[in-house]
Amino acid sequence: MEFLFYMGDVFTPINFGLLLLGTIGGLILGATPGLSPTMAVALLIPFTFQLEPQQGLILLGAAYTSTVAGGAVSAILLKIPGAPANIATTLDGHTMATKGEGAKALQLSFLASAVGGLFGVFLLIFLTPVLAQWALAFGPSHLFWLAILGVTVIGTLDSSSVVKGLLSGCIGLWLATIGFDDIMGAQRFIFHPAVSGGINVIPALIGLFAIPQVITMFTKGRSSDDAEIITVQRHPIRLAVLEVFRRKTALAIGTITGSIIGLIPGVGGQIAGLVAYDQSKKFSKESEKFGTGHSEGVIAAESANNAMVGPSLVPLLTLSIPGSPTAAVLLGGLLIHGIFPGPDLFLNYPQVAWTFIDSMLIGQLLMCVFGLYIAGLAASVARVPHAVMAAIVLGLAVFGSYSVQNSMGDVYVMATLGVAMYFLERFGFSAAPLVLGLILGPIAEANFIQGSMIANATVGTGTYFFTGWLNWLLIAIVVASISYSVWMEIMSRRYTTKDDAVAKEEALS
Amino acid sequence: MTDLPRNQHIIASGLIAGVGLSIAYISFTQEPAAAFVFPRLISSVFAVLAVWTFIKAMLGRTKVGNGISAQAMRNMLPGLIVAIIYIYWAAKGVGFYTATTVAFFVLLSLYDPAPHTQLKSWLKRIAITAGFMAVMYGLFAQLLNVFTPREIFF
Amino acid sequence: MKTWIAGAALALATLTGTAYADGHGEYPERPIMLMVSYGAGGATDFQARIVTMTAGNEDALGMPIAIVNRPGAGGRVGWNWFASEAESDGYTLGAYNIPHFIAQSIEGGVSYSAESFEPIANWGADPAVFVVGADSDFNSMDDVVSYAKENPGGLTFSGAGLFVGHHIAALQLEKAAGVKMAYIPNNAGGAGAMRAVIAGEVLGGVNNLSDAFRAQAAGNVKILGVFDLERNAFLPDVPTLKEQGYDIDNASVNFRGVMVPKGTPQPIIDKLAATVPAMFENKRVKSRMEAGGSPMHIMTRDEVLAMWAAREETLKELLAGL
Repeated sequence: MEFLFYMGDVFTPINFGLLLLGTIGGLILGATPGLSPTMAVALLIPFTFQLEPQQGLILLGAAYTSTVAGGAVSAILLKIPGAPANIATTLDGHTMATKGEGAKALQLSFLASAVGGLFGVFLLIFLTPVLAQWALAFGPSHLFWLAILGVTVIGTLDSSSVVKGLLSGCIGLWLATIGFDDIMGAQRFIFHPAVSGGINVIPALIGLFAIPQVITMFTKGRSSDDAEIITVQRHPIRLAVLEVFRRKTALAIGTITGSIIGLIPGVGGQIAGLVAYDQSKKFSKESEKFGTGHSEGVIAAESANNAMVGPSLVPLLTLSIPGSPTAAVLLGGLLIHGIFPGPDLFLNYPQVAWTFIDSMLIGQLLMCVFGLYIAGLAASVARVPHAVMAAIVLGLAVFGSYSVQNSMGDVYVMATLGVAMYFLERFGFSAAPLVLGLILGPIAEANFIQGSMIANATVGTGTYFFTGWLNWLLIAIVVASISYSVWMEIMSRRYTTKDDAVAKEEALS
Repeated sequence: MTDLPRNQHIIASGLIAGVGLSIAYISFTQEPAAAFVFPRLISSVFAVLAVWTFIKAMLGRTKVGNGISAQAMRNMLPGLIVAIIYIYWAAKGVGFYTATTVAFFVLLSLYDPAPHTQLKSWLKRIAITAGFMAVMYGLFAQLLNVFTPREIFF
Repeated sequence: MKTWIAGAALALATLTGTAYADGHGEYPERPIMLMVSYGAGGATDFQARIVTMTAGNEDALGMPIAIVNRPGAGGRVGWNWFASEAESDGYTLGAYNIPHFIAQSIEGGVSYSAESFEPIANWGADPAVFVVGADSDFNSMDDVVSYAKENPGGLTFSGAGLFVGHHIAALQLEKAAGVKMAYIPNNAGGAGAMRAVIAGEVLGGVNNLSDAFRAQAAGNVKILGVFDLERNAFLPDVPTLKEQGYDIDNASVNFRGVMVPKGTPQPIIDKLAATVPAMFENKRVKSRMEAGGSPMHIMTRDEVLAMWAAREETLKELLAGL
């Protein structure tokens, strides 16, 4: 309960001012396409040079919390996921926005974020020692199986055909191998200088999601605008609160999946949202509604990606190893003040450590309040005529993907993937599994190679990858997931006709 | 007309199968082999799935995806051409902000339903473009210090 | 005559506004970018952000330096871009890591070498150290080597990648001790390699002194030896490999500094070479670097040029055996 003792420090005028600044700034940076939470936090580091350690960390903690949630704004309104964490949010969130339910989608996403986020931070407060062991339990073989588990999710994720879903995933996995391979440094599939550095995930995300939507708006031409004036529905916050708590399953699955997966170093943050989305779809009574603007989709995805924030800091705060790129940046924020995280961080610097954690708790609430406030205003984005919208999204996509590395090559990659994705989507492929492949490919490959190197030097590949309860557990889940997909494919053959599929496609686009 | 999506499906899945087979070929012939273990695995699965999809399309058994209508193609073409010129050439050739301003304005003029004969609608387009560019400049150049390719005019 | 033509050309260039590179009197006129070929949060990125924080001061460059990260493949992605695509107008700086980029250029498959870049100044030197888990049976390098002798190729130890400082240190150790060990490059860089040691996935590891120092303070690892010529001020109790009887020099020490692409106008290089080392000397920079456990080692352009040349020779010899 020590965290309550330091709660007062959050509310001193300067600290609270910084908390507000971090939260609002974080929401804006998070909503900026191309600016991932890691980059946003890194941008704020220079400001903390001038501040006291405690103040600096309050600013960084608040910014981390709210950039993750802020990514939902561009994901829902513009269908540009700000970071891999927000991919799953676009699936239902953007569909809701195009139906005029943008306000509702944003409110749900901020409320779910706050619930997930608070849960995650409480885990950090109460279960850190236990979680630290869990974070270390995942070696190369386990991360490999985890990535394979992610790949099996591909087939059922946002696609009406399992084969095409898997094929989309394969395209993503292949795209991920382009460039230098991470371990050997060999060049692979470099057919154009723009991809010599490999395909960067963030420009790829922007292209794959935003560009098809721009082209779809182009296809509507000049004249058809009157046909689809969207009435933007106002949505009282009270109803949103009720809705979030009515969808208990999605909220619980999102929060728990997010916190467990978020803890695993290197993998967690990026796929927590997608895995939670897929899981809650499988467990939902209305699983067929997913992808058509269903509130459970938004709730699961957003509660998961904010639930990950707290646990992702566990390895950093207890073992001094950053578990994610953002944690690495936060480590820098501690180091410049001469504070070394580790088991005795909370003994040596309680004032800094607990205030930092408290600021993330209060930050979640502030983020939710501001988020709900913008939700009402931002939802009218749906009323913007499609010509203006197409031009804005295109402009943002170009600026966003350029700013990741100040590189024109990334812009070419973004545009090429985007145009290709538009055509692929017209033929039943989807962007979400493709992106999942792009993210998981390097994780699967690097851990497989590392694992086999360790295995060859020690116990042998078979023993290394196939023994130990964690390996068995993961393999069992992989098998279950594949069987589920195969069963679904066989079952769906019986009733899916072309017309059904077309009807679903129409509902989607 | 009913056969249009089917033929399109054949072409699309044929292209993908072609990509799949060629990357499989590349992976299995490139050296060093150690760096291509993973690509070989992926490209084999890729090629098999792609060929399967292609065969299904040939048999006319494709269930999802409704292709592109001729009307949609005609509507998107001008915008697509402007976007392609903007992204692949103008952004670097004439400068980031200049190219974005021009492309933004042209796209608005192409797709905005407001009549082209009224002065008012032109003023509105100019105002929207100026507003958007101001936000972009403030956010990316001023706040985030992003270095963009040099402009030709300034 | 020649000076007249040059003068006219310069005047013309100034008139047409393309003289940004030659207008060295005014340089820098706008913010400068510093490319770091490792991800945000890594040791190089973190240190680059600290040493450039005073760039905007009037006594330094008078313009801020913004960090742009281009991570990938142990730095190859960033340095390839820097050598082949970066503009040589003085507004694009890059961070170098020695021996990484020289070792990679010797190994091949990249479009840069020491000749592609012009060093400006060095800010830090981070030696590699050998770490083992806190509960490991190994207490000295001799323990490690004798285990390796009993299990040829069976001693797993992690490092940040292939052809980076850690790998060089690993090769030197294998050569000096005459043993075969299993070096496991980690795709998540130094932090990932350290995690593998702490989690017990590998028996030991080569890591940065600054990170190992922190991990030791947290009680997670033991540091058995420093791959440098002298003991380090941060770890006065840890002997060097040389003291423990292995003939290993400082070829793996990770030197970090600032460079520009070849073709950058000489006046700009001179101006940077004069101001940047002074900027690193700033008291605030020094105190922040020390607080973060990052050893500083400031070198001027001429010293760095000599160091690069010396490193290239040692590395060529070391890597020739591969």
